[in-house]
Amino acid sequence: MASLSSNWVRNDSSPRVVDFKAVRCIFESGIKLEAKPQAVAMAATLYHRFFEECNPEDYDHYLIAATCLYLAGKVEENHLKIRDIVNVFHKAIHPKLEPLDLAEEYWLLRDSIVQCELLLLRVLKFQVSVDHPHRYLLHYLKSVQDWMAPDIIAKLPLFRTCWSLLCDFYHLPSCLCYKPQHVAVAIIYLALECYGVTVPYNSDAVLQWHEVNIYVFYHNFISM
Amino acid sequence: MNTSTSTNVSSSSVSHAQQVMNKLEDFDFPYCDEVTKYEKLAKIGQGTFGEVFKAKHRQTKKVVALKKVLMENEKEGFPITALREIKILQLLNHENVVNLIEICRTKATPFNRYKATFYLVFDFCEHDLAGLLSNVNVKFSLGEIKKVMQQLLNGLYFIHSNKILHRDMKAANILITKNGVLKLADFGLARAFSISKTSQPNRYTNRVVTLWYRPPELLLGERNYGPPVDMWGAGCIMAEMWTRSPIMQGSTEQHQLTLISQLCGSISPETWPGVEKLEFYNKLDLPKGQKRKVKERLRAYVKDPYALDLLDKLLTLDPNKRIDSDNALNHDFFWTDPMPCELAKMLSQHTQSMFEYLAPPRRRVVQQPHAGQPGHQKGMQPSAADGQYHDRVF
Repeated sequence: MASLSSNWVRNDSSPRVVDFKAVRCIFESGIKLEAKPQAVAMAATLYHRFFEECNPEDYDHYLIAATCLYLAGKVEENHLKIRDIVNVFHKAIHPKLEPLDLAEEYWLLRDSIVQCELLLLRVLKFQVSVDHPHRYLLHYLKSVQDWMAPDIIAKLPLFRTCWSLLCDFYHLPSCLCYKPQHVAVAIIYLALECYGVTVPYNSDAVLQWHEVNIYVFYHNFISM
Repeated sequence: MNTSTSTNVSSSSVSHAQQVMNKLEDFDFPYCDEVTKYEKLAKIGQGTFGEVFKAKHRQTKKVVALKKVLMENEKEGFPITALREIKILQLLNHENVVNLIEICRTKATPFNRYKATFYLVFDFCEHDLAGLLSNVNVKFSLGEIKKVMQQLLNGLYFIHSNKILHRDMKAANILITKNGVLKLADFGLARAFSISKTSQPNRYTNRVVTLWYRPPELLLGERNYGPPVDMWGAGCIMAEMWTRSPIMQGSTEQHQLTLISQLCGSISPETWPGVEKLEFYNKLDLPKGQKRKVKERLRAYVKDPYALDLLDKLLTLDPNKRIDSDNALNHDFFWTDPMPCELAKMLSQHTQSMFEYLAPPRRRVVQQPHAGQPGHQKGMQPSAADGQYHDRVF
């Protein structure tokens, strides 16, 4: 793919670091563009799935990242303008440079994203439906919240911590390895551990709270 | 690894670019098959969406339909409508929904400026309902009509329970295989929907559904709509099973609403609470004092009282009162003699494919104004709001 990275950023770090930076760029740009959380999560997922298939050394990670965000906007019905994506990514990668002029470089970048989108779709075999952990997380958090003492919930930034953990989780390819329900439960578990909070009566319970969530889920699922 | 979609010429040197291009032409991209593995047999459709071909797999001889993805707005990349269609078809796996086999592409060559075209590959269906209805030799018995409608509603029940709206119900988009299995097709305008919370109504475009099948709420500018939009279309199609041509052939939105009022009665807050809040309710000229005469008018064609009752419930003005697919499937129409019966036997008398596109011109209806390109059509008179067009209705 003709590269725009030569004057963007050199990929000389280890793949993990490059992935991390590129996904952080997706999140930063997503927030600036006021994209929906599902769209940003979708972009990160597309990004990791792409590099699961392709050799990381062959592609400009930032171009792939920008394209993932553009495609994710389409997939999640949260249309993002290609012009905004070019500008916001350019700013995120080169905070010190002036914004791009409407000149050759801008048009090349724009064209590259359009071309790269087709590449992405083909590599992913047009399979662009993803079940995100977000809705499970909110649903489970509601259940856990109802079960806990109100003063503990009021004191802790539990929801925010979970949300941050979820966002961080997308920075590495391992986010592809787990079911969305498991991710949601694990995040709540970790957040509670962080604050040293236990779920009431958990020690007396036949099933641990997180097992119940999964159990209920599977039960619903099987009966469907 | 590199790819044949790459067209950007590196600024370094043209000869280098040429080398890359040469390499790309021989490059075998592993992720998306070339469409040349199918042999095109005939063009079977043409519309706003693009072209559809009948084709045959060169090795397996399997017959398929190829639908070209129009890459009109190439500045914006892959069309979101095509992406929606692919996503939705991957989700919907049902006997009464057309089956997407795969997506193919053409090779990027200098002739297409290195821009590949994409094709959606579907299981081939021999007929579409518009083609069948326009052929006088095709005769449906009451049991066969019931089977068609039962399968149609079954398909709608399935897509609606998966939170998908079809948004382009019309006879030409209803495919029927030679074995008599009905398939909903063309999800090019389809989208996912959600039940809106009262605080934030949905804002979907109302420029969907072919005008003749467009429900009154869309014509009046509703943007927070749902499954009833497809049920209205199902009603129009059901009536067409007897009348053999679309029952309300309006030439403009205004004309379509006039025709609807003449059939279903005047649109007013009494019969349809809340209609006065719709954007165009006061801007369009809605005939007053019209009586509802769905059953009376259709009785000339439809003798079965259960069929008339179901039609009446499908062609209900107020979308909130319009029957849904679940209740429609439980309607007595489907559970009284003659019971729904297989279409295969009747269809076996017809060995030739029937598609609206291929129907002889004499029997072809005037090209239908499609969503997104409303307004005056060639060969059609401008709209008249005074109701002089009764005779054209049926």
